[in-house]
Amino acid sequence: MRRDTGCHRIDHTLSRRGFLAGSAAGSVAMGGLLTPAQAEELQSGQKRLLQMFLQGGFSQFETFDPKPGTKYGGPFRQIETSVPGVNICELLPHMAQRMHQLSIVRSINLRTNDHGKGRLFMEKGRNTGEFPYVGSVAAKYLAPPNPELPTYLHITTRGLTDNTNAFLEAQHAQMKLPGVKAPDNLSRPDKLTVEAAKRRAEFRRGLNERFAGGKGQRAFTETFDSSFEMAERLMSKKDLLEAEPSSKDLERYGSHPFARRCILARNLLNNGATVVKVTHHGYDTHAENFNFHLEQLGEFDKTFCMLLDDIREAGLLESTLVMVYSEFGRTPKINQRYGRDHWGASVSMAMGGAGIKPGVVVGATNKEGTEVSDREVDGGHLFHTYFEALGLDPKSDHDVPGKSIPIGDPAKSSIQELLA
Amino acid sequence: MSNNRPASPPLPEDPIDVKESHVVAEFKHDVALTTCRLDPQARFAFAGAEDFHVYRWAVDGGNESKTVFSGHDSWVRCLDFSPDGERLYTAGYDDKIGIWETAAAEPKPLKMFEAHKGWVRWVKVNRDGTRLASCGNDNLIKLWSLPDGKLIQEFKGHDRYPYAVVFHPDEQRLASFDLMGVIKEWDIASGKELRSFEAKFMWGFDQKFRADMGGARDMIFDEDGKTLIVAGLTNVTNAFAGVHNPMILMFDWEKFEPQHKLTDSSYKGMSWGVRVHPGGFITAVGAPQGGSKGALWFWKPGEEKPFHTVTLSHCGRGLDMTADGRRVAVAQFDGLLKIYQLTRKS
Repeated sequence: MRRDTGCHRIDHTLSRRGFLAGSAAGSVAMGGLLTPAQAEELQSGQKRLLQMFLQGGFSQFETFDPKPGTKYGGPFRQIETSVPGVNICELLPHMAQRMHQLSIVRSINLRTNDHGKGRLFMEKGRNTGEFPYVGSVAAKYLAPPNPELPTYLHITTRGLTDNTNAFLEAQHAQMKLPGVKAPDNLSRPDKLTVEAAKRRAEFRRGLNERFAGGKGQRAFTETFDSSFEMAERLMSKKDLLEAEPSSKDLERYGSHPFARRCILARNLLNNGATVVKVTHHGYDTHAENFNFHLEQLGEFDKTFCMLLDDIREAGLLESTLVMVYSEFGRTPKINQRYGRDHWGASVSMAMGGAGIKPGVVVGATNKEGTEVSDREVDGGHLFHTYFEALGLDPKSDHDVPGKSIPIGDPAKSSIQELLA
Repeated sequence: MSNNRPASPPLPEDPIDVKESHVVAEFKHDVALTTCRLDPQARFAFAGAEDFHVYRWAVDGGNESKTVFSGHDSWVRCLDFSPDGERLYTAGYDDKIGIWETAAAEPKPLKMFEAHKGWVRWVKVNRDGTRLASCGNDNLIKLWSLPDGKLIQEFKGHDRYPYAVVFHPDEQRLASFDLMGVIKEWDIASGKELRSFEAKFMWGFDQKFRADMGGARDMIFDEDGKTLIVAGLTNVTNAFAGVHNPMILMFDWEKFEPQHKLTDSSYKGMSWGVRVHPGGFITAVGAPQGGSKGALWFWKPGEEKPFHTVTLSHCGRGLDMTADGRRVAVAQFDGLLKIYQLTRKS
């Protein structure tokens, strides 16, 4: 497996910008409680994206496409869900109770067993080329004009060398949050007064304008400006990033780190974030696939469902597209170590919320789960589907200087069965 | 092995010589096996498989003697017998314990009952066949009366999944071993925990993937109850790829501390089965990592390396031995169940 050890330049840039002056902290909705005004504002039409990325490649057999009692089915049983006739793996009892709010795709063929290529296909909707991630595209077109938070926040404990914005403006790149804490060096140093910081910022802006005006290097200065702006926004929300969850939240979500990250994700969405991605690590199960899925999904299932409940109860589910996905699935064949290896030929995922028809199952795999038997789709079809669900036209173009680039792969189209 | 040890059929009295080990019977199933046992009379070889069933072969009956025991809705990874060999007990990942007639022509469960919330990982019958101990994914150890399958006692104290539980030969105590390498001693009468030891060297936390790896894959007491022997792993470097070394722990039960740690650094992977040979050495099977070959090891306690290793075509996933130590059964990943005789070929 290729190990991702780096992180995006924006993150480094942010960490070095702790000297920036902070603006006055705005009001934040902690603990999932929204004031009526906040709720009304959030429900006023802005669309959002919540991505639950199960890193490593979760097993379709142990999640959304169970095949109990078949050659490669593994030891787990299937359970009924709140949608009659739709069964999922017994490891997801809480999701099963909420299946009427979600839909499943069981027929994704990514044609790759490589972590990096699979992730890029699922994120970019293309299996080759430099294109922006779902999150960056959503951030660009869904974020309000003057967002209070960076528009694409990714809560993850591991660095992923993702150039998520590609040719889009730098402010649409993901910003990684290392958990329930602010990025390092976010606070203004004590020795730097607010006034001094403001003067520095004005000086920097002046230099940038002169530089951009002189040689047409606006893209460079925009990148730097966006880094500073992101830092400023985050500095004003430091309390939100570091808020200790209430005992009630910990009781509902759990007290483990992933639970705390999901509570943070909810708080970010409640405070106007446009795209929030939460990565749950630990699905690359080449050994002990069943013990590890027992552990990992045991942690994921209830916690994710508490997050889903809170989004729904805040009235945000209709405007928030929710994705539960991975970079690929796992082999039907169980290896000598009771593991399953990389498998891109028959992958599953779940989605729900904004624009998605609930309770639908798209596609199927054959009896033993070795190949897609009905309605084959890939990352390109999914990409179109996400944006149609969010009210955007993925067949239109990105307007970047000098050229137009189709938002979605022109050779692909959306999965109409999933669209409300 | 402390109880229910299978007798061996009459054999020529060649001396035990593991370097002369050879296959005397081989049974084939088309799905990977999960475990194996020989019944106490050594009439039958049993195996669990990755297909929800348990299979029985007559040791001298050839592959066509295969008989299916159907009743569980998930894998079976642990088997045990009544001392007289008339009853088979099965631990199912469907949360159930099954009780069967060992020699039934058309096997059906005599009783199948929900024993744990979550996988039943282990079953073990006591010396007189009146008690059954089990452990499961509800983190509980349970004691059942036989033959009625009535719950007698629950033992609470493991914070993570207990993987195995066995009776101490004095029948007053139980020993259990969990995911985190925690060994516990329990008082059967009161249900209370008596002692606990953290064998952390048989556990690892994978920092990269944020998950725990450990647990016993087989566990027995020696005949006099002075040593608990545990098969598992050590040196976890990449839990999700199975990069660790097989380990046999010999744990001094009186001092309650590790006595010997048997590892073979030439193999990576897991040890899935262990038995004490009447000759005083340890026999174990192991699972590979980074290759397809498995191993059947023979160790002298305290020595750094096994004194003999039989290479298996695939990962060995279960082990059992006759009472006289002349034969061992090995279940493999490739569906083969082999009976080895540990003497020269006659």
